[in-house]
Order: sequence, then C-alpha cells, then structure tokens
Amino acid sequence: MRGRSGARRVSRALLITLILVWSAFPIYWALNTSFTTLNGAQSVPAHFVPSPFTAQNYKTLLNSSGGVGNQFWRSFLNATIESGLATVLTVVIALFAAYAFARLEFRGKRIILVAVLATLLLPVYATLIPLYRIMSSVHLVNTYPGIILVYTSGFLPLAIWIMYNYFASVPRELEEAAFVDGATPVMTLWRVMIPVSLPGIAATAIIVFLMGWAQFIFPLVLSSDLTTQPVTVVVAALYGQRIVPFTLLNAVGVLAAALPGVIALVLNRYIVQGVMAGSIK
Amino acid sequence: MPVLLAVVLLAALVVLAAACGSSTSTSSSPSAAATTSSGVLPSPTAGSSITVVYHYPAPPKSVLDQFTAQTGVKVNWVEVGWDNLQTKIATAATSNTYFADLTDVDWSKVGQYYKTKWFMPLNPYFDAAALKADMPQIYTFASNGQQLALPFDSSFTVTTLNTKIAKAAGVTGTPANLTDYTNALKQIKAKGAVPNQLDITFAAAEGLSTYWYQLTAAYGGQVLDASYAPVFTSPSSAGYKALQWMVDAYKSGLVPKANIGMADYQGFTSEMAPGRVASVFSDYSGSVGSIYDVPSSSKVVGQVQYIPTPGVSGPAPNLSNPDGVGIPKTAKNVAGALAFIKWFTDTQQQAIWAGLNGSSDVISGFPLPARVSSLQLLAKGNKVSGASELMTLLGSSRAEFPGPGAPPWYSQFSNAVYTNIHQAAVGAETVQQAVTNIATEVNQLKASQ
Amino acid sequence: MSGERTPTGRKRPRKRGRFLPYILLSPLVLFIGALALYPTILTTVQAFFTVNPMDPPTRFSGLANFRALFHNSFVRQSAANTALYIVVGVGLSTLFGLGIALVLQRRSRWRGVVLALVVLPWALPAVVESVIWGWIYDPTFGVLNSVLKSLGLINSDHVWIGIGRIVSIVLIELVQVWQITPLAALLILAALQSIPQELYEAARVDGAGRWEMFRRVTLPLVRPGLAVAMVESLILSLNVFDQVYVLNGFAPGGASIMMQTYQISFNNLNFGQGYALSLLATFATMLLSLLILAVVYRRVEF
Repeated sequence: MRGRSGARRVSRALLITLILVWSAFPIYWALNTSFTTLNGAQSVPAHFVPSPFTAQNYKTLLNSSGGVGNQFWRSFLNATIESGLATVLTVVIALFAAYAFARLEFRGKRIILVAVLATLLLPVYATLIPLYRIMSSVHLVNTYPGIILVYTSGFLPLAIWIMYNYFASVPRELEEAAFVDGATPVMTLWRVMIPVSLPGIAATAIIVFLMGWAQFIFPLVLSSDLTTQPVTVVVAALYGQRIVPFTLLNAVGVLAAALPGVIALVLNRYIVQGVMAGSIK
Repeated sequence: MPVLLAVVLLAALVVLAAACGSSTSTSSSPSAAATTSSGVLPSPTAGSSITVVYHYPAPPKSVLDQFTAQTGVKVNWVEVGWDNLQTKIATAATSNTYFADLTDVDWSKVGQYYKTKWFMPLNPYFDAAALKADMPQIYTFASNGQQLALPFDSSFTVTTLNTKIAKAAGVTGTPANLTDYTNALKQIKAKGAVPNQLDITFAAAEGLSTYWYQLTAAYGGQVLDASYAPVFTSPSSAGYKALQWMVDAYKSGLVPKANIGMADYQGFTSEMAPGRVASVFSDYSGSVGSIYDVPSSSKVVGQVQYIPTPGVSGPAPNLSNPDGVGIPKTAKNVAGALAFIKWFTDTQQQAIWAGLNGSSDVISGFPLPARVSSLQLLAKGNKVSGASELMTLLGSSRAEFPGPGAPPWYSQFSNAVYTNIHQAAVGAETVQQAVTNIATEVNQLKASQ
Repeated sequence: MSGERTPTGRKRPRKRGRFLPYILLSPLVLFIGALALYPTILTTVQAFFTVNPMDPPTRFSGLANFRALFHNSFVRQSAANTALYIVVGVGLSTLFGLGIALVLQRRSRWRGVVLALVVLPWALPAVVESVIWGWIYDPTFGVLNSVLKSLGLINSDHVWIGIGRIVSIVLIELVQVWQITPLAALLILAALQSIPQELYEAARVDGAGRWEMFRRVTLPLVRPGLAVAMVESLILSLNVFDQVYVLNGFAPGGASIMMQTYQISFNNLNFGQGYALSLLATFATMLLSLLILAVVYRRVEF
C-alpha cells in the first residue's frame, strides 16, 4: 500500500531490526569472543568490542601442524569431501528420478513417489543403528564411501521433492518442441529440462551440501577418528575436552561456520527459492 | 508396481535372514594366554606407522621423533576425551573396525575386555611377574591370567588444598580427618575469601563416580563387596554417608552451583586453577605439577599442595586409578604397537613424561609414572611438584575393587552411579532414592551375568 | 497404459520408453530400499529381539525390550523432556516464522539482505551453534548473565543449564529454534505469497480493517504453509540431539529421546532396546505429524 503512515514505517523498521539482531547476534558474539584473549573474554562486565584485540586464536588454528589446527583442517577437508561428493551423487540420482516422476507415466508411480517422500517423516534413529551395523558388516565404517552413501540415502527424498516441483513447473511446450524434432525422453531431459531447471538444481545442490556439512550424529557414530570425522564432531569433542579456552573454541566455531555461512549469504537466492518451491503443493 | 514388489520381497527375505541371524560379529579368538613370555618383541617394519588414540595430549613431536629414529615407525597420536574414547573403543570393537593400534585400557574395563575379547593379550611379549616389582599396578590390567594392557601411569585420587587461601582464612595445619576438613571449608566460607570452597564436578560422567568411590573410602568402606553386592544402601554405610556428604556440600553452597554441568577436568581448570575454590577432595595425582603450577593456565602457582586424604578417623587410603595402554584386536601394526609400548613405558621415558627433562618434554596432565624406578629419578632431580608427598601416598594406595577387580558390567554400573548422584545433587532424587536405584541396577546386572 | 500422445497425435515410441522410468528410478530405489527401507524394517523386527554384544547371541525376546524401557525412569524422563522440546520448538519456531514471514512479505530493497541474514542460522551446523550459545549461557562469563545483571534483573550469576529442568530445556530448545525458524519462515512466506491479491482487495471493499484481513484472509489461506512448517519443526524437535549433546550431556534432566537412544545403544551396547525406543519414537512422530496435518492443514477456496 502506498503512503504508509510514519508510525507504521517505524514499527516495521523496528521489527526488521529485531529480526536482524535475533539472527545475527550469536554470530557477532562468537566473533567478538574469538578475537580476544581469555582474560579479555572473561572480563566482567562483558566487552562488546574485543579488547584486547588479538588474532592469536586464528593463527593457532591456521597452523596446521599444531594439534588443534591439524584436527580442524583435517576435519574441514573431511566435511567438504563427504558433503560434496554426497551432493553430487544425490543430485544426479534425484535428477533422473524426479524427471521420471514429473514427466513419465508408469505403473506404481504414485506409490513409489509417496513411499520415497514418506521417508522424510522417518526420524533419524529409525535408521541410525541399523545403518551403523550394516556399514560395519561391509567394513565401510570410518570410510568416505560409507559416510557418503549414508548421507545420500538421507538427502534423496528432499532433493527429489525440490526437483520434482521444479520439473513439474516447467512448461510442457518446451518439451513438445523437442519431441517434434524427434528427441527421446532422455535427450529431452538433457537438452531441455536440465538447462531450464538449473536454478532448481543449484538450489537442491546447495541445500543438500549445507545439510551434509551440518551432519553430526551420523558421523559421530560412523567415523571413529580423524580419517573421516567432519568439523562438527571435532568441534563437539573440543568443547568437551579438558582445557577449553573459550576464545579458541569460538574461533573454531567461526571458522567452522565460515564455509556454510558464506555459501548461505552469497547463494541465498537459490536457497530461498528452493525451499519455497518445495513447499507449494 | 513390479519395482515396489521386488523391493518388498527383497526386504522380506532380508528380514528372515536377520531374524534367523546369529549373534553379532565375534572376534577372532585371542592368541593363547601364555603365562610366561619370551620377552622378545617382533621387529617392526621401518617406514610403517601406528595410530595411538588416547585421552592425553600427544608428547612433543621432538620426543616422538626419537622413537621414529630408533624404530623407523611413525607415530600418529590422536587425543580424544575419555568418555568419547570409551564409546569409540566400544563401537569400533563391536563393528570389527580398525580405529587404532594402541589405545586406552581403563582399569575399570579390564573385566569387561576379558569377557568381550576386545584387546590382544600381551603375555607372550611382557613378563608381568618380572615387571611387578617396578610396576606395582601391573596386575590391575590382568584378568584371569590375561595381561590386556600395561600401565601407562600410576594415577590415583588425591586431595589437594590451596594452602594460601586456607591460611588466609585462619585454617592452621592440615585437616586430620573428615570432620576437620569439612569445618575448615566452612571456615573458609565464613571468611568469604572465595565464593565457593570445594570442587566436586557433578556432570553425569565417570569423574563423578570416581569421586564417590574416594569419599566412600574416606568413610572407611567400599561400594561393592567381594561378590559385587551393593553395600551402600543403609544410611549407616560408608557409601551412603559419602553420597550424603557430596549432596550436602552442593546444596549448602560449598560447591559452586555451576558445577552441576561440569566434568572433572573442567572443574580443575576453571575452578581450582583460577583460585575460585580452595580444595578438591578427589583430585588426580599429578595435577599440581601439570595444571596448578603451570603459569600459563593457572593463577595459583605454588599455592596448591597434596594433603593426606582426610578420612573419618585419620588418613584414608587413596584409590588407584591408573591408565593402561593396550592393543585392540583390530590393530594393523602390532609389531609397531608393541615397540611403542616398550618405549613408552620404560624407566627413562616415564620420568620424562612427568618432567625429568623439563616442562618442554612433558605430556600435559601426566600424573605419576608407572615405574618406581622413574619415580626415584624424579625425586632425585626434584623435578615434580609434590613428588615426595605423592610417593608416600602411592605407598598407601589401593585398588577400588581389590581382589576380583572391576566387574565386567562396570560401565553400566558407573553409568547408574553418576546419573543418580547427579539427580540427587539437582534435587530430582533424594539420597535414599539414589542409593536404592543404584543398588537395584547392581542387582539386575549381577543377575544377568 | 498406452504410450502418451503428443498434441500432434504422434505416439511416443513405446518399446524404448517402457523401461526408461524404471531405469531412471533404479538408483533411487536401490538407495532408499537398501539404506532407508531395509534399516527401518530391521529396526522394527529387531526391536523384539535381544541384541547386545555383552549378552550374545541375538535371540527373540518378544516385548522384553519395551517392558524394560517403560520401567526405566530415565527413558520416561527423556520422553517427558522431549514433549517439552516439541512444544517449545514447534510453538516458537512457528510463531517467529509467521512473524518474520509477515514482515518480509513485501518486496523492498532490503529484503534480499535481510533474508540472507535470516537464513544464516539455518545453514550453520547445529553443533557449532550450540557451542556459541553455550558460551552465551555460561554462568560466570556469559553475556546473558552480564546483560541481565546490568539491567538489574538478576543480582548474581544464574546457572541456566543443568539446575532448573524446565529452564534448561527451554534454553536448549531456543538454540534449535534459532536454527529452524528460518525454515518455518520460508515455508510460511511461500504460502503467504501464493495468496491472490484480489482477495485482499475484495476484503478491503467489504470494509475490513488490517486485523480483519489477517484473520479472515491471511490465516485461513496460510494454513497449508503453517501445517508444513509445523510438521517440519515437529520432526526436527522430536529428533533434537546435537544441541542437547553439547549443552547438556547425558544428564537426565534434559536428555531427549534421541540422546537416550544413543546412550542405550552406543554406551550400554544394548542395541535391542535402542531399536525398541527408535520404533516407539517413529510411531510418535507419525502420529503427531498426522495430528498436525489433520488439525491445521486445510485448503480453503474462496
């Protein structure tokens, strides 16, 4: 509505500020704590600007030959590999499946689609223990393939749901044109659907990658050491370890949040579209 | 349809297989438990590596490099917190996965490991009988004749007191018994020098159980008798009184309220080391040298001393709490692991971990060496804070479960102990309810074996 | 089923097409079948067995696991705790999500930036968030106590987590709410944006004020979005683990069902009971989800 009253504008600005503070304060506080010394962080009353200011915590972490630094970077690498490869696998499989659901007719389509989406309702632990025992019986515990397979199976339903909605909303005329030219369904998928749905595919990939990066309980169970432990497990372990300088811990948290944070901020558009597209039935 | 049908059929077949399935993967049977050993270790392959997963920080790289120079074996040391580590050991063993060549064997788990066969017996390689004189606690790590680990230190629970705070509050001398000790704490409280006086860490974790055992010993008793029956349920029993004392200390404000969520080492480093409490009744031997006297992480350097643990009628025995190092059955580089055990536990190295060559070569937090000969080296060189007190206390230490050793179901027992004590401190249970719950659990565990 | 016909009447080649869907679907079915369906069936079946490396062999035991769970007071406590986690989690995330969605409905210059920051908590690992919030809640050095003291609301350091059961649960769940509110907000925003403007115009013509429009147009039409958001929050809060693990450990006063399952399975190695608890929780999830959908979800046509 044009011509909103001044009061309304002010209250709106207030609300937005509140929302921003709510969303950003903990992150700001972590940054604040990480750029100071233990004494500075433990000062009472709390300092809202780091004083004294020091980047020592980050230097410690960036020194990958030291204990904590090494743990951190190895787990960072693990998280990126596990999440990245799981994303690739998930997106590829979901692509084919979503196309089949959206564009092809076949017996059992409805039931399989419902069954796949129903697994979204499954709580984590319906599969946690059996997956652990399955993976251990094929000796895939604490290996990249084991973890990637588990992630993929967990993310597929959501990925399919998002991509199904994208594909379903592509106007059929584009495909008809391809058919007229004699294209098979597979060629149509390759030449028409995928290029047109790239935003949707990107959204799916980003969301799945972020979910993979945030995984905790599965890697907690499936990876026993730094060979495959992702950042989340290392951060939790550092929190529970004997000498916990909170400043260093917050620095670890900041760095651990850096990758998903930057992705979320820069590629925000895709995330928003992906989630919102997936919610419209 | 066909696809779904196939999936369902497949699932059904699998269900049948699972239902008829045998027990979980059993380990390969351990090598014969020889009672004598040749003392000869297989030579490790040069260029190979071993992974050590332990709940202490790694020794300095320069020292580990010496081992590599001697044997050609590289060492990859991973530090994992104690509670997490126990879970990892269990999950790796039950899933038959490799996770380390060497890891922690806690004194309390030896009975369990004998039953589950998760660790390789060391009998063919180390002669326990010959080592006993120098390593008094070696048999803590044997069960039914199988030597499942060698001691890596000789930790035991001790009482520490910040004498500066005590003196400032007018407490003279060392408390001779528990009553004196409690009064001393109250006196410090009355003087108001520190907001709280005592560190007990009430998080639902193993450290809480150990604290209770030590207090029970101070009251002149044990928690389980020789047949593992609970003997703490009557209000006049040592265990009951000990629990009551702990809960009262929390409720009366002797213990900081925030300790409800803290585990043992957190208490040492964020309460005792900054000088915010005056005493830890059940501390770990070596903490003075490795935590309180370390300038970079302590504000009470030179103020904390070991005192004889005050019992009901005089000094109480200190409970031994040693860590062991053993080889999991899934280890890959057994020769390398054996060589490491030998090197790691020899007289010189044990003294070095505790400070013989200065603080640059220590393992941070390392308690006392496992070998008497190492202790003598340290005492001669005056290298460890409170070394002479510790040696005296070591002489009067005893195991928590003398005789039969820890029961195989120790983990579940300890779980029941620390969870119920935590609940009692929070106020969700009375002391009577807590002891009853723990006793019920003990009886159930005994019945199921 | 005959082949599809294009508008020009050409028949799609039938031979090649018939198996194509199944080929495209086979990786999916393989994954879901092997790693989702099969484990679920395993859970369901082995909940009735004794599965315990300390107590071999695996053998049928009927309802023994379930009986043991019901008699375990810590399991019962964790169920009560989880109920509170759910109430707080679903309630607050939906409320805040609705609020955020309403404020961000209108396109503006800043909306993109604000949305980016709003989504940020959802993108970060829960464990990292728990560590950060743990420091905020710290009794001695945390900023929460610091701010409250300078506002004069409390006069000594309060221990937030571990003493008061309800306070601990609410504060731990708040960390999860911080994470899942963005999701709820986006889902509700999508529903809000699909409400046709004409309905608002029509209501205005009828003389409806802002509150009336909200009550009679917005709320009914946003119900599908609300329902989906609530079900999502339900699943996430029923499963709450990471935040509890970091902030509360295994203390019974705040343990969630997921923590109990983990404790029983991986610390006590009693996998049979772990399966049984998983099964019960799965049922609870499905029942509650259906309840929410039945009550809240309603497609309204004007």
